[in-house]
Amino acid sequence: MSNAEHIRLEELELFALGALPAEEAAAIEAHVSGCGECALKLAQAGGNAAVLSFGVKQERPAGTVKAELMARIRANREAQQRNAWPQKAPVTPSIPKPKARGSWWNWALATAAVVLALVSFGLSWQNRRIATELQKEHQEAETLIHDRERIEKLVGVLAAPDTVTVKLAGTSDAANASGLVKFNAKTGVVLYAADLPELPAGKSYQMWLVPANGTPISAGLLGPGGHAWGSMWTGEVPLNTQPKAFAVTIEPVGGMPQPTGPKVLLGAA
Amino acid sequence: MLTPLPGTEETTSDWSLLARIGQKDEEALSALYDRYSGLVFSEARRILRDTGAAEEILQDLFFQVWRTAERFDPARGSLAGWLLVAARNRAISKLRKKSGQTEELDENGVSFSVNVESHAAQNLLLDKVRAVMGSLPENQREALECAYFEGMSHSEIAEKTGQPLGTIKTRIRSAMESLKKVLS
Repeated sequence: MSNAEHIRLEELELFALGALPAEEAAAIEAHVSGCGECALKLAQAGGNAAVLSFGVKQERPAGTVKAELMARIRANREAQQRNAWPQKAPVTPSIPKPKARGSWWNWALATAAVVLALVSFGLSWQNRRIATELQKEHQEAETLIHDRERIEKLVGVLAAPDTVTVKLAGTSDAANASGLVKFNAKTGVVLYAADLPELPAGKSYQMWLVPANGTPISAGLLGPGGHAWGSMWTGEVPLNTQPKAFAVTIEPVGGMPQPTGPKVLLGAA
Repeated sequence: MLTPLPGTEETTSDWSLLARIGQKDEEALSALYDRYSGLVFSEARRILRDTGAAEEILQDLFFQVWRTAERFDPARGSLAGWLLVAARNRAISKLRKKSGQTEELDENGVSFSVNVESHAAQNLLLDKVRAVMGSLPENQREALECAYFEGMSHSEIAEKTGQPLGTIKTRIRSAMESLKKVLS
């Protein structure tokens, strides 16, 4: 089955309902994994099928289920922290039970206990401080890894010899805006946009690839931060999709499956 | 009828909650659980007719959300839809004693054309779907339910009902058309 032979909606609906035999379902899965248009239709068919769940008698799970879930995630979190930052548990010195002796001996033991408690507290405080610093460094390392992946993707698109460039122009809703798309069917898409209008509250920019056939495919969100100046974003599109045009629209934060808001940038490939 | 639990924040979007869960915010997971646990549990229980097994699926599913929230791309569909489809697939696998694959948050998206992030919206859709299901001819409803809640293929439904395969497909298609009208 090639991308040119899209799957009929009826078949996608049967697939979403789970009503297809295994071999037919496998063929559809294989096709959808490489076809953005059918993936989109399948997502809609899946949503329509899932609505059936609203027809069943509604019941609440026992409160213990949530309690167990929350305990499970805390245990998971603690295990991750332990694995990420192995550290020796602070040693709490055990204080031998004093035998009956004279009062000066009891006083000495009590003083020693206080000193030991203070030392223990100090070690514990130091341990926590080190753990916090390690956690901060761990987060910074994750950010660096994320940035490196983004840069690698950027270079992958910009350096590929078969990457094409598409100029985007601001629409009447964003007359001063402009943009440049670098698109490669194998490695992804990069957008450089300048002078986009300030985003209204609760909105973000969403980049779209309009394929030669079919409905627009989301290429990713451009962040809800209200970018007024030039910025560069990397986006994701299904492999080997042939674009007809690119667009940027304003959508609710979190994005939409299909464009609904005003276009701010548009350009034909 | 679904009612919000005390303290449930209904104004925060699913995506905001998911972003916070990605940052390991337990309160966000708690709010998401309060929002959808009733729907997910009821669906799994309808399929399995076993409270314990349905609770197990519910807990596993939200634990997966906790572990992999950052993989979900909002542009690929609805979180509520994904939860319901994933719960359904797991319940059917359990029902048919198959070792089903575990759906990942970054796999096939599920689009809801209606927003069900508040309990009021959920209740509205519950009423509409029940009304449609109640108005369907018995044979259409049976075909739809055999497929979605019992995991039967169209040929298995044909065999069970003694009807030709084409008839079963037509019944399912007609029923789905009625259901889609609810969403339009």
